[in-house]
Amino acid sequence: MHSAATALAWEFRRRHRWGMLAVLASIVALAVIRLVVAGSGPAAFENDETFAIAVLVPMSAMFLYLLAVFSFGVAGDIAARQSIFPARMFTLPVTSSALAGWPMLYGSIAMMLLWLATRLLGVWPAGVDVPMFWPLLLGPSLLAWTQALTWTAYPMPGLRVIVTVLWLSTIDAIIMIALELEASEGVMLALLAPHVPLAFLVARSAVARARRGEVPDWRHVFAWVGRYTSVVTRRRDHFTSPARAQEWFEWRQHGRSLPWLVALLLPFELALLFLFHEAPVIVFETLCAVLLTPPFMAIFVAATVSRSGSQTSDAYGVTPLIATRPLTNASLIAAKLKVTIRSTLIAWLLVLVAIPIALRGSGTTPIVNDWLRELVKGIGMPRAIAIVVLGLALLFASTWKQLVQSLFFGMTGREWLIKTVAIGALTCLGVIVPVAHWAFGQAVILAKLWAALPWILWTLVVLKLVAAAWVAIRLHDRGLVSDRTLLAGAVCWDVAVFALYALLVWMTPALIVRRDALALLAILAVPLARLAAAPLALAWNRHR
Amino acid sequence: MNVIAVSELTRRFGAKTALSSVTMSVPRGGVYGLVGANGAGKTTLIKHILGLLRAESGSVRVFDRDPVVDPVGVLSRLGYLSEENDLPAWMRVDELLRYSRAFHPGWDDAYADELRQAFALDPSAKIKSLSRGQKARAGLVVALAYRPELLVLDEPSSGLDPIVRRDILGAIIRTIADEGRTVLFSSHLLEEVEQVADHVTMISHGKIALSESLRAIKDSHRCVTLRFSESRPQPPAIAGVLRWDGHGTQWTAVVRGGSSDWKVDGADVVSDRVASLDEIFVAHVGGG
Repeated sequence: MHSAATALAWEFRRRHRWGMLAVLASIVALAVIRLVVAGSGPAAFENDETFAIAVLVPMSAMFLYLLAVFSFGVAGDIAARQSIFPARMFTLPVTSSALAGWPMLYGSIAMMLLWLATRLLGVWPAGVDVPMFWPLLLGPSLLAWTQALTWTAYPMPGLRVIVTVLWLSTIDAIIMIALELEASEGVMLALLAPHVPLAFLVARSAVARARRGEVPDWRHVFAWVGRYTSVVTRRRDHFTSPARAQEWFEWRQHGRSLPWLVALLLPFELALLFLFHEAPVIVFETLCAVLLTPPFMAIFVAATVSRSGSQTSDAYGVTPLIATRPLTNASLIAAKLKVTIRSTLIAWLLVLVAIPIALRGSGTTPIVNDWLRELVKGIGMPRAIAIVVLGLALLFASTWKQLVQSLFFGMTGREWLIKTVAIGALTCLGVIVPVAHWAFGQAVILAKLWAALPWILWTLVVLKLVAAAWVAIRLHDRGLVSDRTLLAGAVCWDVAVFALYALLVWMTPALIVRRDALALLAILAVPLARLAAAPLALAWNRHR
Repeated sequence: MNVIAVSELTRRFGAKTALSSVTMSVPRGGVYGLVGANGAGKTTLIKHILGLLRAESGSVRVFDRDPVVDPVGVLSRLGYLSEENDLPAWMRVDELLRYSRAFHPGWDDAYADELRQAFALDPSAKIKSLSRGQKARAGLVVALAYRPELLVLDEPSSGLDPIVRRDILGAIIRTIADEGRTVLFSSHLLEEVEQVADHVTMISHGKIALSESLRAIKDSHRCVTLRFSESRPQPPAIAGVLRWDGHGTQWTAVVRGGSSDWKVDGADVVSDRVASLDEIFVAHVGGG
């Protein structure tokens, strides 16, 4: 290594060589598609969906990957207050400008190359005039701000996610508005050009402050919460059981994250009701966004639920403190599940209290009342109540499901498995969404899918039940869960499935969907196999 | 009855054999020192005893139970303190005690408070605000306060100052003062082991190199310094010598065997003394 710049470049290349190879392979695949589609003539897809599958989805995946790599987000704890810039690099004999600048430069070059490869090698929809230069600046701009904002230390846990998402969304919105207004290439370039230098200044300052160990702390603002908690703690001298102690541990470690994130976002979202109280469409969209906030934020919090400590070097493994608790694996999992239910309840309590207050304060209650009256007039009072209650119950269940559905993978403690599943899920989502979008536009395919729906559902149900049976047998054979707990779990699952089925039958006219299809949907909707497998995964992790 | 019984335990991590057919037993009472160089397999062995690693071949029994099959039965009776002090940074000291208390019905509040005060731990201090030594002390209070039948210490004093090391050694002595309690203590600080251990097991490259009572080890090893009349490029070949150090006319041998009756042609015995544990360790596992 001749210089710090070379060493930093080597580290990126060495550490992410397989991911980079995958990016290169995807670019080669783009070129092959172009050769196949175009031959020697001009290349273009006839519809947007094919373009989305062949170009847009892989490009988005590569973009997100490069974003994570060059912001050090792959290994960093994005929910923490501290900068996610690797602390081991702070002692390197280089300036903060170099520490911030080289990753920014390498990332910007990678983003530019990604765009050039996509622009030149990708096959685009017919009739679309694809710009060349301004998107060349868009990727580096978004990356530079991601780097600057994730390397900054924040006064509150979780604030990094909110600030970064809001700021990147703002940049996106500005670009979208400029495109809507048919801005020229020059204007677009002028809009994007200042971002990288500005972000660099922010990043350099963030790295310099992180190097000095400066982490702002606003937690004293909420000291009254701590004092109240202390009073409560003192009042209750001892935990009544090890399980209660473990629940307390999980609550303090992860449980408060979801309510905090929801509480931080709600004021910003509900402020829109005050700003646009005369626009029913925006009121409706705002309320939808507010109701979707807990399940959406649960996706981010879910990654931390399976971790047993935030400061261990092997963040995915079980810390010795937890591994040496004299508790069974099932008890450790039960504590996590109970805390996720409590987190979900509190997050939703915040939403359900905040919405009426915001509606009343903004004067938008009559708008919502009108919608409710329309609903009652259309389907009758009992069904209207059932729809509202069922909708909220589904959102609540969805929030909890988001928190726990990846618990099985997280509890395995195997980084390779967790990252493979995460990348696989993103890839599947990236493929399924455009494919579904395309299929919905094809009447023939839609009809075939509708006809095959029972078979698809039956296959999924059989797979789910076989997996659940295998898990139950393994749990029983290895003595991880008592027979009584297994039986109680099975009964609870049955009751949940029957309750959901009964509601679906009552809500859905038999002419639209067959009863057996509803039963299969209910079976698929209630979590079973992956949740039951969590103690198995923990045992695999705890006793390696 | 043995508190710990390890039989033919082998563990591999990929191509590396961390433990190779290790057999050892720890009887009830006394202090059992486990010594070895970094990477020798001490922590791997302790992790098997705690049930954090599953035996690939061979068996591990603690209190006559398999720690993987019955973690509650084993972990509720042992106290553990590791070099990798992973106490949650967000907890306060009093919260840590309250949390740990819930898992052990035998928790002694008075004893915990006595230890906390002796170690000058502020109950309202957050773990993250404690120094490394204070963290080790907090971990020690939690490991001792329920008077566990077996105390497992994995390199507890590594990197700590002499005052904290003294506290840890004091804790070991307190533990064995309670009749019938056992301490398994891993370290590469041999002078510490020499101070408190009744029995020493030396582990090297995943194998047990020596396992005897400290007295037997000390009695059976001597350190003899010889001065030759002429300079020698190599020491002489003598049965029982585990290791030679020196050059020219003066050579020092660590010898296995109780006899101090040494006669080597052309050499005078300059000194003949009991070997230190450090010298014995280097002679058995130090290579070179």
